[in-house]
Amino acid sequence: MTRLVVDPLTRVEGHGRVELLLKEGRLHDVKVRLLESPRLFESLVVGRRYDEVPDLVCRICAICSAAHKLTSLQALEKLMAIRIPTIAAVLRELLLLGGHLQSHALHLFCLILPDLCGTPDLLVLLQRKEPLAEAGLKLKAFGNRIQEIAGGRVVHPVNPVFGGVAYIPDKQLIDGLSEELRHWQACWPDLCQQFLQLSNYPEASPVIGNPLATGLQEAFALNGESLDYGEEQVDSSEYAQLLGEHSRADSHAKDSNGQAGPFLTGALARATLVAGRKLRFDMPAETFGIHGNNLAQASEIGWTLLRIGQLLETLRQADRSEPLRATLKQANGGVGTAATEAPRGLLIHHYVVDEWGKVVAADIVTPTAINQRVMAAQIMADLANEKDHERLCKVAERIVRAYDPCISCAVHLVKVENSSEKGLTCQKRSK
Amino acid sequence: MKLKPPINLAWIRFTSCSGCQLMLLNCESSLAELARIVAIRDFPLASSTLAKNAEIDIGLVEGSITTSSELERLLAFRRKVHLLVAVGACALTAGVNSLVRGERRQAMTKVYAGQGDNWNTFPPQPVDHFVKVDGRIPGCPPEPGELLNSIGTLLNGGWAGHQVMPVCMECRVNENPCLLERDRAPCLGPITLAGCNARCPNLGVPCEGCRGVVAEANRDELCRLFLAAGLTDQEINHRLERFGETT
Repeated sequence: MTRLVVDPLTRVEGHGRVELLLKEGRLHDVKVRLLESPRLFESLVVGRRYDEVPDLVCRICAICSAAHKLTSLQALEKLMAIRIPTIAAVLRELLLLGGHLQSHALHLFCLILPDLCGTPDLLVLLQRKEPLAEAGLKLKAFGNRIQEIAGGRVVHPVNPVFGGVAYIPDKQLIDGLSEELRHWQACWPDLCQQFLQLSNYPEASPVIGNPLATGLQEAFALNGESLDYGEEQVDSSEYAQLLGEHSRADSHAKDSNGQAGPFLTGALARATLVAGRKLRFDMPAETFGIHGNNLAQASEIGWTLLRIGQLLETLRQADRSEPLRATLKQANGGVGTAATEAPRGLLIHHYVVDEWGKVVAADIVTPTAINQRVMAAQIMADLANEKDHERLCKVAERIVRAYDPCISCAVHLVKVENSSEKGLTCQKRSK
Repeated sequence: MKLKPPINLAWIRFTSCSGCQLMLLNCESSLAELARIVAIRDFPLASSTLAKNAEIDIGLVEGSITTSSELERLLAFRRKVHLLVAVGACALTAGVNSLVRGERRQAMTKVYAGQGDNWNTFPPQPVDHFVKVDGRIPGCPPEPGELLNSIGTLLNGGWAGHQVMPVCMECRVNENPCLLERDRAPCLGPITLAGCNARCPNLGVPCEGCRGVVAEANRDELCRLFLAAGLTDQEINHRLERFGETT
C-alpha cells in the first residue's frame, strides 16, 4: 500500500493536509485533516459578559472576521430581544458584502488564478504584469475598502457594536465607493471570463453533498431564521439535530453528519438553493463538479456588486440624525442562535447567557467544518481512475482548494504528527 | 547590514487567525513592488513554493505556541532565519488565545466532546518565551503600513523605530473628544502603544488595547478612572487581560 501526503495544503486559509492511500495503484482511501491548533473559543467566552463576545470571536478567523462578529451579535441581540435600527442593519450588510467581495476575490485571484496559469503564486503573475492579476487585486482592494469604511478596520471590524453600529461613515466616503462601484459593475462580466472555462479545471465527477444555506430568498440572511437544505427548511435553532455535529479523533474540525447530510455549503450551495442567486452565466455548472464553486463565486461577485449599489444608495439618503444603536436597559438571560452566510458558507453561532449577562455556553459551527466530510468523498470520486502520483496530489489539492476552505475557522484539531515540518508538496511513503 | 534583493522571506504561522498574514496580502497596491525585492521561500497562504532548507533573510512569525510540535517547528525556523520578526498580538503576548481559564484539558474535553484527552497542548505562549526575537510588530491585526515599513527598513539595514507614546497622544493630535471623559467608555488609549493613529477612537470606538501596553504605563490611574466610570473589578480585569495585561 502506498501513502501520498499533500502537506501542508498551500493557497488555502489555515493549516491542513490530505492523505491519499493507494491500493494496487488505485485510490483506496482519502483523509482530509484540518490541523489548526486548538484555540478553544467556545470555552474562553464562558464566564465573560455578553457584550465582550463579538470582539473575541471575530478573532477566530481574519478572513471571516466580519461574518463572525455579525453572527455573534445577531445571536446575542436575538437572545436579549433587541431590534437594531435599520441604518445599522444596512451598514452591517454592507460590511458583510465587502467581506464577501474581498474573500471571493482573494480566493479567485490569489489562490485559484495561479492554478489556471500554472504558476506557484500570484506574485509571479504580478511580476509578469498580468492584467488579470492586477485587476483582481484591485477588486480585492475594493472589497477591503468597503470593509474598512463600513467596519472601521479591514480585519476585526470595530463598527458593529451590541445594539447597532458605532458610527455612520462620511457621505464623501460613501460617494467615493459608489463611483468605484460603477467601474467594477461595468468590467466584471469581462474580468470573470477566465474562471468560466471548463478546460481550466481538472475533470470532475458530480458534486457530493446536500446543498445547505440559510433560508432566505433574496439578501444574505443577516437575520437567518431558518436553514434550507432543499427538501425542507428548519428553524436555525434546530441546527444541532440537523447537522449532528460531533468531534472526530482524526481531525480538529468537528464533523457534521446529521441524517439529511452530508452537506455542502458555500457559494455553489447558495446558487443551487436560492432562486435569486442562480448562476448568472448560461453555463452547465454540473460539468465543473466541485470546481463549479469557483463559477458560483464569480457569479456572486456580480450579484454582490449590484446589492452593494442598493445599500450605498440607501446610506446616501439615510437620515443622519437617527440613532445608530438600540440601548439595552438591563441584560437578561436566554438562548440565542443565529445563522449567516459567510463567504464560504453557513455559519452558526449559538449562546446561552445567564440572568446577569454572563455567557454560560457557546457553540460555533463553521462552513469548513460542515464541508469537511464531503471533501474526502469528492476526492475519492474525482480521482477514482487516476494513477499518476503527481497528478493525484495536485488534483486532490485543487479539489480541497475549490471549497475555499477556511481551516482557521474550523477551529478544532488533531494531534499533529511530525510530518508537518517536512514541507513536501508530494511526499511518498511506501508501507 | 543592508540586504541585497531579492531577499528571502518566509512567514510561519502558529496558533492564530491568519490575520497578520492577511494584512500583508491586503497591501494590494504594494504587492507588485514587494514581489520585485522579495523572494517568497515559504508562505503557504500565498504560495505553493515551499523551500525546506533554504536560508531565510527575514522570517516573520504569526501566532502563539500551544503544542510541542509547534515548538519544534519554531526552533527549526529560528535556526534557518537570519532575522526573526514576531508579528501581531498572538506572537507577542499569546493574544486572545490565552484567555482560556482553568485546566486546559478540561476545556479541550468540553469543546471536543471527550476527544480532547490525547491532544498534546499547553497554555498559549508568546514566541519570545522560546527563541530570540529580533523585531516586533504589534497589533491585532497589525497596521498594513507598519508591515511594509518594517520590511523596507530591514532591507536597508535598519529597524523601524519603536513607538514609545500611548494611543492617547495620537487622539490629542487628531483633536478627538476623549471617550473616557465624554462617554465614560472603557478606553485603553492611555496605556496602549501608539502607532495606529488612534484608529478606533477616531471613529468613536474605545481602544481595546490590541497593540499591547506602552512602557511606564500608569495602570493605577487608569483603573481608578475605570472604577469612577462605573466598571466593576472583574470588568476591568476582563478589559485589560484581552491583550495580555493583568492588574
